[in-house]
Amino acid sequence: MKVMPKQIVIDPVTRIEGHGRITIQLGDDGVVQDAHFHVTQLRGFEKFCEGRPFEEMPSLMARICGICPVSHLIAAAKACDALLAVRIPPTAIQLRRIINMAQIVQSHALSFFHLSSPDLLLGMDFDPVQRNIFGVLQRYPDLARDGIRLRRFGQQIIEWLGGKRIHPSWVVPGGVNEPLTEQRRNQILATIPEALEIIVRTLDWFRTAMGIFQEEIATFANFPTLYMGLVNEDGEPDYYDGRLRVVDSAGNVINDGIEAAEYHDYIGEYVEPHSFLKSPFYIPLGYPEGIYRVGPLARLNVADRLNEPKAYEEWSAFRELGRRAVQSSFYYHYARLIEILFCIERLRTRLSRPDILNKHVRAYAEPNSFEGVGMSEAPRGMLLHHYKIDEQGLVTWANLIIATGHNNLAMNRGVLQAAKHFVKGNKIEEPMLNRVEAVIRCYDPCLSCSTHAIGKMPLHVQLVSADGGILDEIKRG
Amino acid sequence: MAKKVVKTKPKLAVWKFASCDGCQLSLLDCEDELLAVADAIEIANFLEASRAVVKGPYDLSLVEGSVTTPHDAERIQQVRRESRYLVTIGACATAGGIQALRNFADVKQYTSIVYPTPQYIQTLKKSTPITDHVFVDYELRGCPINKMQLVEVISAFLNGRKPNIAPNSVCMECKRRGTVCVMTAYGTPCLGPVTHAGCGAICPSYDRGCYGCYGPKETPNTTSLSEWWNAKLGVKNEDILRAYRGFNAYSDAFRRQSESYEK
Repeated sequence: MKVMPKQIVIDPVTRIEGHGRITIQLGDDGVVQDAHFHVTQLRGFEKFCEGRPFEEMPSLMARICGICPVSHLIAAAKACDALLAVRIPPTAIQLRRIINMAQIVQSHALSFFHLSSPDLLLGMDFDPVQRNIFGVLQRYPDLARDGIRLRRFGQQIIEWLGGKRIHPSWVVPGGVNEPLTEQRRNQILATIPEALEIIVRTLDWFRTAMGIFQEEIATFANFPTLYMGLVNEDGEPDYYDGRLRVVDSAGNVINDGIEAAEYHDYIGEYVEPHSFLKSPFYIPLGYPEGIYRVGPLARLNVADRLNEPKAYEEWSAFRELGRRAVQSSFYYHYARLIEILFCIERLRTRLSRPDILNKHVRAYAEPNSFEGVGMSEAPRGMLLHHYKIDEQGLVTWANLIIATGHNNLAMNRGVLQAAKHFVKGNKIEEPMLNRVEAVIRCYDPCLSCSTHAIGKMPLHVQLVSADGGILDEIKRG
Repeated sequence: MAKKVVKTKPKLAVWKFASCDGCQLSLLDCEDELLAVADAIEIANFLEASRAVVKGPYDLSLVEGSVTTPHDAERIQQVRRESRYLVTIGACATAGGIQALRNFADVKQYTSIVYPTPQYIQTLKKSTPITDHVFVDYELRGCPINKMQLVEVISAFLNGRKPNIAPNSVCMECKRRGTVCVMTAYGTPCLGPVTHAGCGAICPSYDRGCYGCYGPKETPNTTSLSEWWNAKLGVKNEDILRAYRGFNAYSDAFRRQSESYEK
């Protein structure tokens, strides 16, 4: 019997931030051939910032995303620092690092507890009506509460420093708006012990839970790629600054020091005819061999060490999972938890230094350069803002490369791998949908960000014949 | 099988149009209140948090984002038909959002600059607020919204009363927190006098002028403020125009004011 070739579309993929859609192409033999994303909307940040004063960029760009506004705030402010061509006060750098780490904690907590824990705790085949944070609240109230409290820990620090949790306004070109008071510092330090207890408890549970997900670990985007992330002079992951390091799947450092301003020589953007999202690749290896991943998994793969006691121990165990680099995207979850632990310990270290209370936190200047690039680590991976301005300081051109975009190739390939393993026959089955969706959630793609230009991305599963006719379709939402 | 006593909880749905997700995440930010909310209502449609979609009609629909595609223009009609009350949350849903800046330009410039094959993009010429398409029961302002105001709106609608949210300006919030006026004290241009309260006057407390995240207050005197900026602070016309072209550029009051500064 000849199996009808089909295409599968999942629309929208849920419990990711934003709105996405996947299409899986089946060949003549009914075997999965390809997988890709569709984008249908436009917001247009690169365009409407043209003609606006560069100082507005941090506040304006924060609106790209309500999940990681701080990342865009930081990358935009760093690009503006480059336009001013000033050295910003060391305490301002430390304070920006603090708000950035707080955001990594809150965003990772949202990803793990609110969005992914329902799959992990209730099982991927659990009734979808209950398979959400509210279902977790009923069955595992302690864990759900831990998640809510951990996210609050991060959000609270952002609010204390920036005035509000979403789109805060404290980070500005040249530094930050206001120094940290001793009272605030102590307030933050007082919340650290509880956050630490929560993350240690969660890691203990997750390490044992990973045992039951062997099939998913083997098939969730488990393939060799390059990894890219910022590291500091000690070889630790650096979320704010540092040099961009690239390692291969064997863990060899193949590039160790790409400067923000030279990103264009190393990161190319390939446009595939069927896809709506650009696919960045590492230029020296070409397309598609230059496929790379960013974000928690990549950052822990490129690092040489973590100089915080608990995080170091956990990271060492993580690195044991792969011969050189850890390949399965399922381990993004584990990496995310380790990063939460690292950031909480590091927050304590940084806040305990007396110079954090220094009053000099902003440098003032007129623009001294017509072009500036800001590079930092967002929760989901390396983020780049690049602006050009005229003599009046008005933006004439902007380019943004965001974390979810970097992972686009790897996400597509991951969906393909999971689809090949879980798609059986010519029917759209619930367990298959759940797993294909769960692969996407490993990357925690932020579709508001990745489609900053393009708005949102309904992700839908559709069965389409080799000649292009839609034979079956599941749409959600 | 024993028949279960079914408690009928009011059904809440959250809908996303073109936006950054920040406003609907304010619901997850409610933390302790979230636990209470989860007890009091049935979350019938909240794709950010759950895959399951419970069938309508819904007692309360929260709508985030602006309408930017033909598909969305149809979808909002469907949402309205299924909803007893419909409340817009945030600047995108209430005023078209930052993406409404394209309403003042040619949208083709946008699609071609960011995407090499723009024919795949189905987009409307304008990014419009929900109220341009359907009847809206209440508009909650802000970029993003204030979560306590969100809790107030939910509780008001579920209890059949009017939300208790003051429609006055950011100036009132500065006075209440004892922040010195940045305009009179430092000559910093500030949109506070015409901007809806709700943020707690954050920017002036950092010595910055308000940039209008919450959109126009009730009966804003934008003309007077612009003249004041011009005469007393020496702000140029093009800068006045740009000040109104922010997250709420397409709200009536701000749009009319910015257009009056176009040549």
